[in-house]
Amino acid sequence: MAQGRVHLKGIYKRFGNFIALKHIDLDIQPVEFFALLGPSGSGKTTTLRMIAGLDTPDEGVIEVDGEDVTFAPPADRDIAMVFQNYALYPHMTVRDNIAFPLKMDKMPKAEIEPAVVRAAERVDIAHLLHRRPGQLSGGQQQRCALARAIVRQPKLFLLDEPLSNLDAQLRLQTRVELKKLQRALNVTAIYVTHDQEEAMTLADRMAVFLEGDILQVGTPDEVFNRPASIAVAAFIGSPPMNLLPATLDGDRLTVSGHSMTLPRAPQHPGGEVTMGVRPSHVRIDPQGLPTRLYLSENLGESALLNLYLGDELVKMRVASFNAGAEGETVPIAFDIDTIHLFESGSGRRIPLAGE
Amino acid sequence: MSSYRRAATRRNIVLMIVASTLLLIWVFPLLWAVIVSLKSESEVLAYPPSVFFEPTGKNYADALFGDFSILSSLWTSTIVATATTVLTIVLAVPAAYAFARLRLPAKKTMGFYTLATQMVPPVGLVIPYFLILNKVGMLDSYEGMIIVYLTFSLPFAIWLMVSYMEDIPFEMEEAAFLDKASRLQTLWHIIIPQVRGGIAVTVIFVFLNAWNEFLFAVQLGGNNVRPVTVAMYNFVSVEQTLWAKLSAAALIAMLPVVVIGIIAQKQIVKGLTVGAVKGGGRR
Ligand SMILES: Nc1ncnc2c1ncn2[C@@H]1O[C@H](COP(=O)(O)OP(=O)(O)OP(=O)(O)O)[C@@H](O)[C@H]1O
Ligand SMILES: [Mg+2]
Repeated sequence: MAQGRVHLKGIYKRFGNFIALKHIDLDIQPVEFFALLGPSGSGKTTTLRMIAGLDTPDEGVIEVDGEDVTFAPPADRDIAMVFQNYALYPHMTVRDNIAFPLKMDKMPKAEIEPAVVRAAERVDIAHLLHRRPGQLSGGQQQRCALARAIVRQPKLFLLDEPLSNLDAQLRLQTRVELKKLQRALNVTAIYVTHDQEEAMTLADRMAVFLEGDILQVGTPDEVFNRPASIAVAAFIGSPPMNLLPATLDGDRLTVSGHSMTLPRAPQHPGGEVTMGVRPSHVRIDPQGLPTRLYLSENLGESALLNLYLGDELVKMRVASFNAGAEGETVPIAFDIDTIHLFESGSGRRIPLAGE
Repeated sequence: MSSYRRAATRRNIVLMIVASTLLLIWVFPLLWAVIVSLKSESEVLAYPPSVFFEPTGKNYADALFGDFSILSSLWTSTIVATATTVLTIVLAVPAAYAFARLRLPAKKTMGFYTLATQMVPPVGLVIPYFLILNKVGMLDSYEGMIIVYLTFSLPFAIWLMVSYMEDIPFEMEEAAFLDKASRLQTLWHIIIPQVRGGIAVTVIFVFLNAWNEFLFAVQLGGNNVRPVTVAMYNFVSVEQTLWAKLSAAALIAMLPVVVIGIIAQKQIVKGLTVGAVKGGGRR
């Protein structure tokens, strides 16, 4: 059942003078859980809406299973979508909401009821079928929207920030269920989110959006551990990695007058570069670079030190909170084997030997 | 008892008096008509007006079954008002949907035109309409009267319905499209049920307007189509005015209006305030 391959080729979309998408290319595989991750306004919803057929691109082609659907109406695409605000029909009961796609699909009446019950059971709302959306909690509404989407066994499953209206606890719980549901249904899911943790945990692969561009496509592991550019590095991780100006000469990297030898040779002629290091890969080292403590933040399980290395802010994660005196000198070093390097001009990642 | 509460009570009393006075001014002509309709014709003309009199139901009987019976014109009014209302709704609902949702090229212009028709003083249109109906041979016909009424009720109804439809979030329809509903199915299953209140308001306003209309009815109607608002004037002639029977006829003609008004009070108020509380509680 290799169905539900989505191929976007050179999608370009403008709203008036504003360019919302700049030649997007994406190839989403059947049965993949694919996340579109990016900050607000980066074009994720716009992309999703074009896949659904609710909007058409100004340029480019959208193919589903090899078939050009760029201008096909939504009804012809066999797609189910969960909207951010759920878009339940307020005048219908939960039962009628879930049954609606089947009715429109002209399923015989006798088959509708069992299908509705099955879908409702899958998401645990079988006991709420007689209620109206207005009488449901946010989480229950979200499940109702899910049930309406899965009742028809669509080719594609689109979700636009479906968890963003839920409280933190429920979000974690639903996240897990969503993933299991997608596995059980064996259907391609395209999932829009601005929450990188959500994308990391749910997605098989993801695309990182910024200002109408895709910065990187890859598995969560690839995006996290091998960010393709400074822009991705500056977005992924909470907080994202520290980015510092450095000089590269062969495998010698000099930061703030402090030189170190990289264990893996960078494939780069040398010169001015940008070094990236995650806050958890910064440690205190009496022989290291002197920094000035600006502020320490208590995160509960760990703490974050904000340090100034010259004029550059460096964030460092430490195991426990210790409200050091502000202005105090903290000597630091970087875990040399976790360092990322980027070209200063283009921002592109500099591959290290073995990558 | 706190002085606050005493002040509040005093304020309520003042409000009460002001409200009652206003209401009395409003209701006085109506009360007068009721009183007149229960007097005999000679008693009506007595001066000073008699306060004590023997109430009689004769005027009502005469208005309904006498020489100038308004019974058939009541029926005419019912036909005209009902047909106008039904046609208005059937045409206005899809039209309003198009205005609210489709990307029509001349949407702004059409919207303005719709509003503009509401601003033209009707009296300026009586003669043109008369000439047009005369030309096409539709004077004193149901079709002619209803078409003329539609020219007023349709723009108004569309304009009112659009404000209801615009309150429905776009995603609701988009969800329906993804659920494989067609435009018309979406209109029928998703939009119309959510604007039921708006439709009710429109029905009421259109029906009442058609029922109460006089100016066009008197010019464009005739012996064949004579709505009750016109028929009442049979009690007014050059020699005399039969005030008591006129009042009785007027009160009978008012009855449907009052009944609808009482039944639909809530809807009417809601219709008048729509837009002021956009989206409030109707999602
Ligand atoms: N119909 C429209 N008309 C004009 N501009 C639009 C329209 N739809 C989207 N945009 C613009 O396109 C850009 C991308 O919008 P989009 O909704 O895709 O963002 P997003 O990535 O989904 O953001 P969010 O996380 O806030 O939902 C935004 O700057 C938005 O203002
Ligand atoms: Mg969005």
